[in-house]
Amino acid sequence: MKVTICIGSSCHLKGSRQIIEELQNLVKENNLTEKVELCGAFCMKNCTNGVSVTVDDKLFSVSPETAKSFFNSEILSKVN
Amino acid sequence: MNELCIDVGYKSINKHGEQLCGDMVQIIKTPESTVLVLADGLGSGVKANILSTLTSKIISTMIAEKMDIEDCVNTVISTLPVCKVRGVAYSTFTIIKITDNEYADIIQYDNPQVILLRDGKNYEYAVNQRTIAGKTILESRVQLLENDVFIAMSDGAIYAGVGDLMNYGWQRDNIVEYAENRYDSEKTAQAIATDIDDACNDLYMNMPGDDTTVAALKVRKRRVVNLLFGPPSNPKDVSKMMTMFFAKQGEHIVSGGTTSTLTSEFLGKKMETSIDYIDPKIPPIAKIEGVDLVTEGVLTINGVLEYVRDYAGENKLYQEWHTKRDGASLITVKLIDVATDINFYVGRAVNPAHQNPNLPIGFNIKMQLVEDLSKTLRELGKNINVSYF
Repeated sequence: MKVTICIGSSCHLKGSRQIIEELQNLVKENNLTEKVELCGAFCMKNCTNGVSVTVDDKLFSVSPETAKSFFNSEILSKVN
Repeated sequence: MNELCIDVGYKSINKHGEQLCGDMVQIIKTPESTVLVLADGLGSGVKANILSTLTSKIISTMIAEKMDIEDCVNTVISTLPVCKVRGVAYSTFTIIKITDNEYADIIQYDNPQVILLRDGKNYEYAVNQRTIAGKTILESRVQLLENDVFIAMSDGAIYAGVGDLMNYGWQRDNIVEYAENRYDSEKTAQAIATDIDDACNDLYMNMPGDDTTVAALKVRKRRVVNLLFGPPSNPKDVSKMMTMFFAKQGEHIVSGGTTSTLTSEFLGKKMETSIDYIDPKIPPIAKIEGVDLVTEGVLTINGVLEYVRDYAGENKLYQEWHTKRDGASLITVKLIDVATDINFYVGRAVNPAHQNPNLPIGFNIKMQLVEDLSKTLRELGKNINVSYF
């Protein structure tokens, strides 16, 4: 599973860094480093609804507050 | 003219307790020459400041206008106010004049002798003596080679540490040795001058017994850095802008999320974006084959402007941007250390999502950044070209 987090200007200001840190920790805690690949991207042309995150090309809007529930519903439950 | 160019920098520290510096450095650049004058006025404080200001201003202006050294010295002597206490009008000086980036004339009166480092090693150049108006002047002419470094200083430098840390202070030989040991062909003139002046301040234990000034002049090759920032206002111009940008020789930096996406499409090369945050304020960098550096746009350039402004002023962040590897530090190294000529390719597209008053990344902020950055870089002696699309 490939999870891409936008780190463009607008998303950066809306908290890309916190989301990346949170997801990195959650992936590690759940022993998913083999299965989930986290990567970055510049601008997904969805700046107004940032922070933009894609999971295998499906687009989501995530904020630092919703990062954990996003992980549970979109990554953890679907990865296996 | 050849492909060499001259990089100049200096730093002064004041005698402990003085508000004004008695040393003065003037730099004048004309199309065919670069003139550096370092003058050290008698005494310290206001009086010394006036003497050295007059001396350096008069000499640099006259020399740049190609007047004879005898006329300069005579003018200085008949102009300087005479000190009531000492009965003399007096300011020592060092002149380094570079002509056509081919040779240097060094004219010295009573300052510590100019040090010349050639490929990092001390180079003894020939010196002729002559007497003008009763003063002994030393004259030399040196043919320039790439990486030659000239170091001029006021006598505060060689008195550093006298009586405190060392019996006789820091002699010129010690400074030569220090400069040789610290030599690095990538260092700018400003970095060289600052490094030596700071070492003097350390020897004085932060309480300089005299005004201490070090000026450096470095001969280097011209190097071009091109920076692409923002997509063009008319989307039809993308390929025109990219073609012009990549046709330029030198290094290529691409700044901006959308801009780098367009670049990767134009070059037909994949972009790899990292998620390693080195500085929490600056988004991570990316890689595109064929581009020397790919970064985020406005936040990164804002960081660059902060570093460049600091470098032109107090220079407190020098170590920071030389060691950190985030986008802003990497660009700063390219603009300050590498480039002599910088071409900015600025796109004026407005990203509607950025026009939010709560986000510090709007269009006006971007344009202001470009203006401020190019202005500061010009003041640092860089050749700047800005094209808008």
